[in-house]
Amino acid sequence: MSKASVIEVAGLTKEFGRTVALHDVALGVQPGEIVVLLGLSGSGKSTLLRQLVGLETTTSGSVRVLGEEVPSLGGRRLRALRSRIGFVFQQFELVGSLTVLENVLTGALAGLRGPRLGLWAYPRRLKLVALGHLDRVGLLDRAYQRADTLSGGQQQRVAIARALMQNPEILLADEPVASLDPESSDQVMNLIREIAMEAGLTVVCSLHQVDLALSWADRIVGLRHGEVVLDTSVEGLSKAQVMEVYGRVATSTSELEAITVELAESTQHRTVVG
Amino acid sequence: MSTITAPAPPPLAPSPGPSIAERAPKRVISPERVAAASTLLVIVGLAVVAVAESGISLPGMIESWSHAERFFARVGSITFPEPAELLYLTALTVGLVLCGTLLAAVISVPVAYIAASNTTPGPAWRAAGRFITVITRAVPDVVLAMVFVLMFSIGSLPGILAIGIHSIGMISKLFADAIEQIDEGPRMAIRAAGGSKFQQFTSGILPQVLPSWVATVLHRNDINLRGSVVLGYVGVAGLGLEMSYAFKSLNYSLGLGIALVIFALCVAMEIVSSVVRRAMLGIQPSGRGLGDRVVRGVTDARAARSSRRTDAARSGAPTSGPGLASTAASGDLEAALRRPWTGSRVRNTVWGWTAVAVVVGSVLICDIHWGDLVTFWAKVPAIAAQFWPPSFGNYEASTLVAAMGATIGIALAATLLSFAFSVLIGSLAARNVAPNGAVRSSMRLVLVIIRGVPEIILAIVLIVITGLGSQAGTIALAFGGIGLLGKLIADSFEEVASGPERALRAAGATRGQVYASATLPQGRRALLGHSFYLLDSNIRCATILGIVGGGGVGYYLLNAGQGSNYAVVTTIVLMILATVLIVEGLAVWMRRVFR
Repeated sequence: MSKASVIEVAGLTKEFGRTVALHDVALGVQPGEIVVLLGLSGSGKSTLLRQLVGLETTTSGSVRVLGEEVPSLGGRRLRALRSRIGFVFQQFELVGSLTVLENVLTGALAGLRGPRLGLWAYPRRLKLVALGHLDRVGLLDRAYQRADTLSGGQQQRVAIARALMQNPEILLADEPVASLDPESSDQVMNLIREIAMEAGLTVVCSLHQVDLALSWADRIVGLRHGEVVLDTSVEGLSKAQVMEVYGRVATSTSELEAITVELAESTQHRTVVG
Repeated sequence: MSTITAPAPPPLAPSPGPSIAERAPKRVISPERVAAASTLLVIVGLAVVAVAESGISLPGMIESWSHAERFFARVGSITFPEPAELLYLTALTVGLVLCGTLLAAVISVPVAYIAASNTTPGPAWRAAGRFITVITRAVPDVVLAMVFVLMFSIGSLPGILAIGIHSIGMISKLFADAIEQIDEGPRMAIRAAGGSKFQQFTSGILPQVLPSWVATVLHRNDINLRGSVVLGYVGVAGLGLEMSYAFKSLNYSLGLGIALVIFALCVAMEIVSSVVRRAMLGIQPSGRGLGDRVVRGVTDARAARSSRRTDAARSGAPTSGPGLASTAASGDLEAALRRPWTGSRVRNTVWGWTAVAVVVGSVLICDIHWGDLVTFWAKVPAIAAQFWPPSFGNYEASTLVAAMGATIGIALAATLLSFAFSVLIGSLAARNVAPNGAVRSSMRLVLVIIRGVPEIILAIVLIVITGLGSQAGTIALAFGGIGLLGKLIADSFEEVASGPERALRAAGATRGQVYASATLPQGRRALLGHSFYLLDSNIRCATILGIVGGGGVGYYLLNAGQGSNYAVVTTIVLMILATVLIVEGLAVWMRRVFR
């Protein structure tokens, strides 16, 4: 480890009642790295991502992000840390009744004082920045449309523009394309990769498709039942090798089948019409 | 793909050519939106003026408090009617209200069927259904009662019919909403299997809407019980009539005693209907208020006991369950024909028969003169002639119009005051807005307590204490409105999608910022709708307040009724109708424009 890690997770355990979502997870991410968390639904990917910004409490262990110990933060300091981390959700999570532009502007709230009601409440300077980000994701012409009139892929690009409003150092993405059709999915993944390269962002993205992860990431961290079972650079890694790792840890043939089916569905996304 | 190969991002290098601001589309605001926003502003402006005019002020309220102290000193103690009489009056009031609500429920089924977009036979039917819904809601039950008292002389039938017809509006509206929200699948399946329209309704729609319908009827029953007080002022038998007699004869201690009884009755009825809802519909206590916690605690304990029992039974009995193969024998089929008396079936049956007994009891206690239903038709032409054509009678037209204006003013002022407090209390009572559980629970409790006080009773008591006038009425309406609007706001805020809120929290926004940028915009439409609903209900209610002495057009309505100037009654009703229709139209328009 030549450079200091931007994300340093050690011995992280998260329990929801009796179910263990994460068990003794360790993860270090270097600045500028593009990492994919790979795993089935319920493997703990989303929980791990949410732990990184303190959206959920930690049962035990250490989560250091950008030099801050996340579980110990609260109030103003937690918000300050969150403002340096962009988060993209599977379901986009835009406010459908607001315009696209105002949705993007909400990404800048952490840098502003007090609640903002309506477009007029944001300074012109920020509006220009927001329009610039909308231009970057190719949706400048949609600035004044209601967000819920956009397709799923467009909404996810708006969500990316919203994350860019934060001037983030890290971009977290939780299954960003699981609700999109293959074409929009490619657009969104390419966009995230390009923006990350341009701005030197560190990206941690959860996915469940092996093919997509192999072609997109620098490094893959495989999760299963809340434990890290694989952590390797994609250099020279093949799909068969990934499957083999999952095959070794599968406890039954039915689980192996489930893994095979889910991990192989990279061309058959569930689609949500936006 | 073309969209993502755009040139480098703007922050890095100022791109040549037109700037972002020039290339950005211009914001287009539709003229209709401007018009709607202006109308809304005008309404709010009028409401502000109305509040200022109403003369409600803190010093004034403190002064009326000293009035109240002197008043209670004068009244001395509170007295109640004789126990036997009190019991009879209570039973009569409850029975009358139940009969009226049930009548409305029965009539509402076909009305809702033709008014719901997915079941209506055609646009004309739908319009007719909507018309019935709007008209029955717009004519106050007090006016209906006045008319029916004329036709049937004193008795319970005028009250039942007045409640029954007036309630059709709300019940059929909510029934139709429920029909429109069903899952179309089961109905389609029945249609595909060759079921008739009626079969589609009974097997495809009814099972889906029944829980919502029962909840609606119970809710309306609570409202009707509160409203029944005023019916007494125009001569409908029951507790309200006794109370009006007591106040008219300046027997304040008895009047307040009856008011107290009615208040207790309303609370009791609300508890009963919530228990019934739970028992009949299996609506789980969702774990918010204290009451829910108590009920849940009791049911949990019971469930634990019964599960132990079934465990024991299971371990004792041989394990040859009625498998699919074993039912082939005809003897088993015969046996399977008899539905086993499980705990839930016993419970359902008991509840069902209890409900039937209550309804029969209600009809009996009301002592309905069924003959009247046959004979009254003969009186209709003569009575109709008294009501038509409308006229201003001895009043100047301007007097009545001013009185109507005063009523609208009371309603506007009360709505604005309720709105201000409700947004605050309602927001803090929403799980996703409140800073912690304690704040949320205490705000919910405040709302429950406010809702428990029937505003008519409050108004009557306030008027008796502080004297006639619009101020008492406005305060009573505004207070009652907080209970209703606050709860509606809290519920609709809790229903907004939580994802956008989470997204903003993840971006480092404060609680206030999340509220303003994610919660409010998503709840905006509901907020607007609920506020207009309150305004609409306040206009009707303000009319009624006039009848008990709260100022406005209601006073003239009562006078005209008692002085047999029925043509004037018609005029006033038409004015109320027009106002309510305008407000309703505005509400529909606003909801459409501000989606």
